[in-house]
Parts: sequence; structure tokens; C-alpha cells
Amino acid sequence: MKRIVCAALLLAALPSSALLTTSAQKTEQAAKVSLKVGDTAPDFTLLSDQWKTVKLSDFKGKKNVFLAVYVLAFTGG
Amino acid sequence: MDSPAANAAFAKQINIKFPLLSDMNKKMLTAYGILKGYDVQSETYQWAQRANIVIDKNGIVQHVEEGDSAVNPNNALSVCTDLHKKQSTK
Repeated sequence: MKRIVCAALLLAALPSSALLTTSAQKTEQAAKVSLKVGDTAPDFTLLSDQWKTVKLSDFKGKKNVFLAVYVLAFTGG
Repeated sequence: MDSPAANAAFAKQINIKFPLLSDMNKKMLTAYGILKGYDVQSETYQWAQRANIVIDKNGIVQHVEEGDSAVNPNNALSVCTDLHKKQSTK
């Protein structure tokens, strides 16, 4: 397990104004994660919490990557 | 999307040792098909679905889990463990 790299993406959700209107008419555009097992993962370059650039391709040939996509920081979601 | 500064505060609060990444312009989320659209009145808002993805050393996707079940990381962790065992025996 020591060699496993974990990277979490924390993603903010809706503006508060939209959250207040969720009881109004709301329709979900159901979208499935388009990636499938066996696909080549698209490369990405993202900023870490330490303001350092992290590229998926940096780990190629070195480590497995666990991406955990979160919806909101400071929440249980 | 959460900024690096917000992620830094969150990382400190929960004392984690791995990077928290920000996808401020939603490029990665779009490429991976993780964004979900919600129509509220006349506006469409998009944000990420909860998802766990495991990518092996060769850049190949080995596990995809989305939605509520992805709150629990155990399935993805067990894929990681299996991958590591397979790679260690080669």
C-alpha cells in the first residue's frame, strides 16, 4: 500500500442562490462517468493545495493512482 | 470549484498527507465525464459527481465507481491492493 498514490479532487458545488431554489422545478441531466475500465485515462494538470502542479503523466510507470472526486470541501459529501 | 487555498485549509483540518487537487476550470472533470448538470428554473448548473477512479502505472483505468457508493473508498482501495500485489509478483 505504501506505493499507492492517492489524489483527491475537491470540488465546490452550486452557488447558494441555486441551492435555495432546489425545491423549485429541478431536473437532473443524468450523466454517467464516461470513463470505463480498460480505457486510457486522459492526462490532466491540476493545482494542488500546495499550489504545485500535479500531472497524471508524472506517475506513469511509477505509481498507481487513486483519484477520489469529492463534491465539497468541509462536508461529508 | 474549490480553490487551492480552500483545499489547503481542508487538508490541514483533516490532516491528510496526499495532494488535494483543484479543477477550477473543470477541464479534467469534463474530460472524465464526471460533471453532472442540474436545470434549476431557467439555468443549468454543473458540478462533480462523487467518484473513485483507480488508474494503474500504465495509465489504464482499473476501477470506476460513482455516486453514493463512492463515498466509501474500500472498493477502490482493494483494487489498489490487488494491483500492487500483481505488480510485485511480476
